[in-house]
Amino acid sequence: MSGIDNATAGVLLLIVLLIGPVVIYIRKAQKGGELYVRRIPGVDAIDEAAGRAAEMGRPVSFSTGLTAVSPVLYAVLGVLFYVSRQTARYKSRLLIPQYHPEVMAMAEDVARDGYRKQGQLGAFDQKNVIYLSDEQFAFAAGYMGLIQRENVATAFLFGYFAAESLILAEAGQQIGAMQVAASVSPEQVAFFICTCDYTLIGEELYASSAYLTREPVQLGSLYGQDRAKGVLFLLILIGVGIATINSIFPGLEVLNVGHFVRYELW
Amino acid sequence: MNYRSFLIRLVTFLGGIYFFLEFVLPSELPGDIQFGKYHTEISRGFILVGAMALGLGIINLLLVHGSKIAFQKKGWPNSFALLFGLFLMMFVTTADWLGELRISRTLAEINVLREFSQLIRKDNLDQIVDHQGTAERNRLLQEALKEKLARITKRVDALEPGLRQEWERDRFVSYKELTSEMVQRVYLLNEGLAIDADMLKTQPETGQALDANLALEAAASELTQAYREVLRMNYQHSLQRRSYNLLFHGLFVALGSAMFSLLAFYIAAAAYRAFRVKSMESTLMMLAAFAVMLGQIPFGVWIWEGLTELRLWIMVTPNSAASRAIKIGAAIAGLVMAFRMWLSIESRSFAERGDK
Repeated sequence: MSGIDNATAGVLLLIVLLIGPVVIYIRKAQKGGELYVRRIPGVDAIDEAAGRAAEMGRPVSFSTGLTAVSPVLYAVLGVLFYVSRQTARYKSRLLIPQYHPEVMAMAEDVARDGYRKQGQLGAFDQKNVIYLSDEQFAFAAGYMGLIQRENVATAFLFGYFAAESLILAEAGQQIGAMQVAASVSPEQVAFFICTCDYTLIGEELYASSAYLTREPVQLGSLYGQDRAKGVLFLLILIGVGIATINSIFPGLEVLNVGHFVRYELW
Repeated sequence: MNYRSFLIRLVTFLGGIYFFLEFVLPSELPGDIQFGKYHTEISRGFILVGAMALGLGIINLLLVHGSKIAFQKKGWPNSFALLFGLFLMMFVTTADWLGELRISRTLAEINVLREFSQLIRKDNLDQIVDHQGTAERNRLLQEALKEKLARITKRVDALEPGLRQEWERDRFVSYKELTSEMVQRVYLLNEGLAIDADMLKTQPETGQALDANLALEAAASELTQAYREVLRMNYQHSLQRRSYNLLFHGLFVALGSAMFSLLAFYIAAAAYRAFRVKSMESTLMMLAAFAVMLGQIPFGVWIWEGLTELRLWIMVTPNSAASRAIKIGAAIAGLVMAFRMWLSIESRSFAERGDK
């Protein structure tokens, strides 16, 4: 939809169609409706990974990569909350290397909440939330040094990653850490698949938080976004159909989906 | 809900609705309403809030590494090196920033003259000042320009002794050539000003005072340019700029490049692991990757010409489809998450504050 920056009727309709199911399913979930979420092996592995670190008596690291304050971060913080509860439960050390200072403040808060929720607030050490650098490769170098020095047993790489993704994941691989990664960037997913034990692809990152917490708002929105994807799928089918008709019968010139999306209100 | 929580939700909602409307509404609404009029200022406000957070990072660094040094814990020399580097870089960057600021301020003095020359013309055109008055103002402007010119000439003369050898070594050109060009330009400018002065004598009451003003403005522009070059030339060889260049370009950028180059080795190791034939999927992936790699190089084309077509098909059809599927899924999930953040229905999701 690049190039559309005005309130066209099509854009407004699309927003309603995408958000509408989310609102409906959130309400349904809040009223206690049963919503089934399929198993995600990568998310199931989080418990295994946290347990493994406890057995080995080595720390766990959780990196949000280059994620800035954004929707991705909120999804990641849900997982961090869960991981921090698990590490508090198993009395493992949780290292949280950071790239953005503002994210660091939020991550620290969420990790502390996880320990508090588990009744282990005293075990939370603020110094384990480590600010490394806001420069991409300095951060990568800092991360490599940290997890190799601390000899972490489990590394979680959740969030937005760029070219440093392979450097981070390979560093964990070198020390034999069990690694679970999740990225919304298709370019980096391939690197994570090569180097990590489990990889969450694209929207699975957003789903992981709902899957772990079973919180009604998140479950409802997960259901809603799947229905919203159905809307887009339908639009793709219609678009392909119209394009096919236009190519078979050139004289017909049926207006395609794009025309209606761009139809200007004023 | 306490007042703090309410305030956060309110600010989040207002911020969200502003950026939503700013995106969907046209820049000019019917009835001459400009919605995005203050968009730059608002965006800067957000950048400022982000910049303030940087202090948190520094505090964390001091806390973590400061305690390591204080109690001489394992690896404390590394922590010392980090903090030393941090403060050294901060000091040098601040010194460099102050140097740049000084140049900007000096240049601003000449820019004032340019603005004055524009004002002279505007006042004349708006008939606030007559031609005679304009000619008098032109003369004052010319005096000021001459004074600045004298300062530049002085600076150009002062440049030569210490910097000549460095210039020749760094730029591979004779310093004499550069300075003589600069002096030549300055002298040409001087001649230009003399001509303007003659023009003023011969045209006291005509609209040609405006022409003289235009010539003066052009001279002021030329003077600014010349002055900027002289100041920069001087500054490039100052201690603070050379220290900054050494630390930033000589060390920081080079170290970043070294980190990036690690990727080449890691990609090879990762590819080896990924392409091991362990299952049906990994076999398919290995074959696809092999076809793509071979189709990319002349050797592959030499083996079979169809490899280029196959490579293109793999990249454009299945690869693009999978990549778009991931992007569409992530984009919708991101949109929904943003919607939840905007309406603050996300706040209780993971923390459930107050339960314990």
